Amino acid sequence: MSPLLIAFVGVLLVPLFVASWRLSLFGLVAQGFLLAWISYQLDPALDTVGSWVVMFDLVVVRGLGAPLALYAVLRAQGATARHDVLSPNLMSWTLAIALVFVAFRFADMFVPLEGNEHSFVAGAAAGLLLGLLVLATQTGPFSQMVGALRIENAIALFELGGHHRDPWMHLPQTVLLVATVLLFRWYLRTLPRPSTVAVSAVEGMTQ
Amino acid sequence: MTWLFLVALPLASALAVLAIRGTSRASTVLLVTAAVTSIVATVHAALPTQAAFLEGYFHGDATVQLFAPVINVIFAGISVYVRARVATEPASRRFVFLALVFLAASNLALLSNHLLLMWIGIECTTLTAALMIVRPDAPASRLASWRYLLFSIVGLGLVLLGLSCLTRSMELAGQPPTLFLDAMPAAVANPADAWRALGIGLVVLGIGTKLGLAPMYSWLPEAYDEAPAPVTAMLGAVQFNCALVLLFRVVHIYRPGSGGLITGELLAIGLASVAVSTASIVATRNFKRLLAYASINHAGVIAIGLGLPISASYGLLLYVLSNAFIKAILFLTAGKIEAHYGTKDKSQIGGLIKDLPYSGLFLMVGTFALLGFPPFGSFLGELLILSALVTSGQMFVFAAFCVLITVSFVATGRTIFPMIWGEPQQARTWPEQRITQGLHKLIFFVLLLVLGIYIPPQLNLLMTQVAHSLEGP
Repeated sequence: MSPLLIAFVGVLLVPLFVASWRLSLFGLVAQGFLLAWISYQLDPALDTVGSWVVMFDLVVVRGLGAPLALYAVLRAQGATARHDVLSPNLMSWTLAIALVFVAFRFADMFVPLEGNEHSFVAGAAAGLLLGLLVLATQTGPFSQMVGALRIENAIALFELGGHHRDPWMHLPQTVLLVATVLLFRWYLRTLPRPSTVAVSAVEGMTQ
Repeated sequence: MTWLFLVALPLASALAVLAIRGTSRASTVLLVTAAVTSIVATVHAALPTQAAFLEGYFHGDATVQLFAPVINVIFAGISVYVRARVATEPASRRFVFLALVFLAASNLALLSNHLLLMWIGIECTTLTAALMIVRPDAPASRLASWRYLLFSIVGLGLVLLGLSCLTRSMELAGQPPTLFLDAMPAAVANPADAWRALGIGLVVLGIGTKLGLAPMYSWLPEAYDEAPAPVTAMLGAVQFNCALVLLFRVVHIYRPGSGGLITGELLAIGLASVAVSTASIVATRNFKRLLAYASINHAGVIAIGLGLPISASYGLLLYVLSNAFIKAILFLTAGKIEAHYGTKDKSQIGGLIKDLPYSGLFLMVGTFALLGFPPFGSFLGELLILSALVTSGQMFVFAAFCVLITVSFVATGRTIFPMIWGEPQQARTWPEQRITQGLHKLIFFVLLLVLGIYIPPQLNLLMTQVAHSLEGP
């Protein structure tokens, strides 16, 4: 497994264990840049419009645009530093690690030979399963947005591993992703925030 | 090429709306645009099918010819409703702009000869619909809109992942990976492999989410309940059919090699959807929610019909087309009733046939059609699906289906009929209703009757062609 993909799995996992919304967003930034790096390694020439569209998607939209858009809202709202992306208990953490093992087992089944393709499938499956775990366990809009963006990044990683790319299709997909991020920002600004009572109860338990 | 008018005109009108002052003029633009696209789609349906054009990204086959007039005519009816509401409840220019983009994206999805382009069209309808669900005076609608968007993004994400798995399967089989509909049958001629099975599974699950099928259906009752009536009708009768056409395309291509998987998955999620919606129909007191659960129920019936390998396709199409008009009638009528009574609680509404005679009448015929009474197309469609269940030996599904449909039949009647014929809860004075206000629903009703009593030869030919295509390339 390449160091880049190991790093990708790392940035998938670490923010789940640290209760900070800033780290969650940093995780998304890191995912976007790692995806761009992987894409660059696969196509270093960058000699087609399609390659530049992919790079724009990964660096500007996923790596910078989406996390910064959410960061600006939370900062303006004066959100408290603590934020659990997963419920802070042993069960959730065990489940998260188990899902990464399941993802690798899945990759073993679908791509029996070790190599780049195996790593792409394992990384994408881990990203997808952890994204679904976040969505399944969280009710707050911010966590759900992070979960959805994790799933989007996992799909992008899986697509990088394939050879079928249509630049004519990638451009509107990127435009739709930008529109989605703008909508996320709007919802985060306007949706009622999770009740402060519930937040302080969680913090009280962990103090 | 002229098919693209269905995309270009709504987009041009959307841009024009931005420059127009006044919601009344904007809603007129919406109405005129929808009327013109309806006429264009209907005229094209009568012309010969058109092979792929514009680099192969678009086409005008029998499925497009069948569904384009349906969704455009329904959208025109919705526009009449919006235009009528402007007098009492101004529809903003923003709403009209979004509705026009929604129409353009729906037509784009239908006309696409490429699975990813269809996906893009449906995603675009999702983003615009999410904004339209929000009502400024109802905070709950914002939450419903968010849940709708979240489920849709996840569902469409699964579809995208599934499509990637399908192209990977083609690569591994030594075929050129493609998502062009006309090229795919040749590219998937090899025996099925694990990537293909995974891809089909994800695509069906993802589209099932957009259709409101179990297990990811929980967004639907909330979104249909909270959204303004025209938006509910757009989701239930326009977007639903675009997503369904995407599912039809996948089934058409993959049925020959992976029929067992498609049958198993569709029957399972279809039956589960009918079961959960039936339980919810029994429990609810909110009549708009009841209609939303009935939509899940119908989506389940459609999934079951589509899952059957043979002989149900014609009945399924009859059911799908009837379903589109039924939903349009019922959701638009529900909006009117809610606006008048100021409640969605069934126990607070009674004597509709006296209070609001036309709305009461449309609720009555819509409910009869919903429950599958003759002479509506839904009756014949459901009968053909039930018959196909028996002939294909799916006796367990048949038995469960019959029990669940009977329970939902009784529960729906128990909720809706007292609203129509029961005693009014309190004396109210209403402005007199005019039949012209319900002309669009009357047209839907006539079309429903046509589907049940006499199907014109041209429509019959189209339905036969589409039904044949659902059984494989």
